[in-house]
Amino acid sequence: MTIKIEPNLDYNSKTLIQKIKRIKFNYLLLLFVVLTIIFILSTVGCIFAHLDLGALKESVRNREVLFAITLSIWTSTLSTFFCLMLAIPVAYSLVRVRFKGKTLVNTIVDLPMSLPPLVAGLGLLLLFGTTKFGDFLSFLGLEFVFSIWGIILAQFFVNLPLSIRILRATFMGIDPRYEHVAKTLGCSDLSSFLKVTIPMSGQGILASISLTWSRAIGEFGATLMLAGAIRLETETLPISIYLNMACGEIELAIAAAIILILISFISLYICERFTKFPNVY
Amino acid sequence: MLKIKHLQIHLGDFKLKDICLEVDKQEYFIILGPTGAGKTILLETIAGIYTPKKGSILLNGWDVTYVPPKDRKIGIVYQDFMLFPHLTVKENIEFGLKIKKYKNWEINKHIKKVAESLHISHLLDRDPKTLSGGEQQKVSIARAIIMNPEILLLDEPLGSLDPPTREILGKELKKIQRELGIMVLHVSHSYNEAISLGDKVAILNGGKIIQVGNPSEVFGKPNSEFIANFVGTKNVFTGNSQLKNGMYQVSVGENHFEAVTGKEGKIKICVRPEEIFVSNNPINTSGRNNFKGIITEISRSGSVVNLYIDTGLQFIVVITQASLQELNLTVGSEVYIAFKATAVHMI
Repeated sequence: MTIKIEPNLDYNSKTLIQKIKRIKFNYLLLLFVVLTIIFILSTVGCIFAHLDLGALKESVRNREVLFAITLSIWTSTLSTFFCLMLAIPVAYSLVRVRFKGKTLVNTIVDLPMSLPPLVAGLGLLLLFGTTKFGDFLSFLGLEFVFSIWGIILAQFFVNLPLSIRILRATFMGIDPRYEHVAKTLGCSDLSSFLKVTIPMSGQGILASISLTWSRAIGEFGATLMLAGAIRLETETLPISIYLNMACGEIELAIAAAIILILISFISLYICERFTKFPNVY
Repeated sequence: MLKIKHLQIHLGDFKLKDICLEVDKQEYFIILGPTGAGKTILLETIAGIYTPKKGSILLNGWDVTYVPPKDRKIGIVYQDFMLFPHLTVKENIEFGLKIKKYKNWEINKHIKKVAESLHISHLLDRDPKTLSGGEQQKVSIARAIIMNPEILLLDEPLGSLDPPTREILGKELKKIQRELGIMVLHVSHSYNEAISLGDKVAILNGGKIIQVGNPSEVFGKPNSEFIANFVGTKNVFTGNSQLKNGMYQVSVGENHFEAVTGKEGKIKICVRPEEIFVSNNPINTSGRNNFKGIITEISRSGSVVNLYIDTGLQFIVVITQASLQELNLTVGSEVYIAFKATAVHMI
């Protein structure tokens, strides 16, 4: 009798132990989550801890900080617009057009994303500052080196792969047969793209805009190399932090940092809330 | 009519070789083939999505081979219906007319007519994602036929539906085709669809059309072992054939068959289960092929019964429920079977 019952008991206790183990494992996993959250919040929190509301109000009225906010917002908006204009056709053709060497092209397109921004900026500086091509552009009045156009170009170059990646994933998720149907219903290649594919990609385009924009507003390395850190000239928010830290104006630096944090938080929230692509990159 | 002449398509690694087809006016034409046979690519080439490497496509005498899809007057309905998710049902149906810049009152008139004929008037304001499979199919058909196409291409239109709906909508498709009097080219991998809907059937495999004809011809006299297996032809035996006194004598192991048409040498024969007679007593008929066997299994399938008879060879015979009762057949009964020499088909 006992022999018969024992395995049964054994089995029950085993599952119980397994259950406890399983629960313990989940707690262990959650511990890692908690550690990560603490790390992020304490880093961000330290900046807020140094915040003096009165000083912030004053800083926001400060001519330099105001200049940096305005400059950052309009340069990143323009660079996001240019990214989108180029990324849409590039991403679409990488998905729909058949050609040889696509893997290589994809790798090259992704390259600026894995380059350190300083290196990207150095490359841009050499291309636009030392070659005939750069001379020709400045002859036309397009001066990129140590200018506001340089900020836009730096943001554009660094963020283009991100825009392309998000849109590539978006277009890949749209069955080409939708376009085929549209074509049999009277659409040309272009109008099927504009009337069917683009409206169906709304979420991906929104995700691409909000992520590209929030990264553009935080772009520092490439901007520093190409546009330089010139007070009240090429002074974006990140450049402002750098300049003010360098000369001990810590309150101004913190004000700029807090504005940056708020901007990234809002655009990330928009991305998470309204799109299905929070984790494309 | 639709005429396809020596069409060759290369698409990546995939090739369609020398496709020739003719779909007559008002014909319901089925292209039957296994997955990966190239059915969809063929349809999409006819629609103009891909340009063929060689050959031509003629629609009512008009060479459309290089005409862009928007000008071809060809409608297409896919398996998953491909209703535009960002538009309502009504906006889906009127999509083509809007592109062609019809006036609003004309669009409304056409929509009313099409929606009434397909009984989807009550769905017009719905979001396509909330429709059942059958409803989606009708909307998809409405969207295609409102453009008044010369030919409607259907890519596995019943494939994603559950079996009862499939049967009802299959009949509906045929009805729509008859009412509109248009050509339909329907690709499918289902033998049942082919036999119940097709006026004509072509079998496509490995990028080639291997047989064309009316369904009873193709399924009764498959010209290759592939078709016999694919369409589930029963009673296929391998043997040797010799011509003697104008008849082909086929020996399959110990068994001997007589056939009227065929060829000599190592061949396969098949006999349709419906063409075999069963009796309790030796049969004295004009049938040249007679065998004695034992029933090993009886299975009902709808209104008919499949008998599995072991004569040394495994035969499948189809009879009606009434015959089963009249002859009082059970598993283990000893029976005699017979069929004509013309019923023996050689592959």
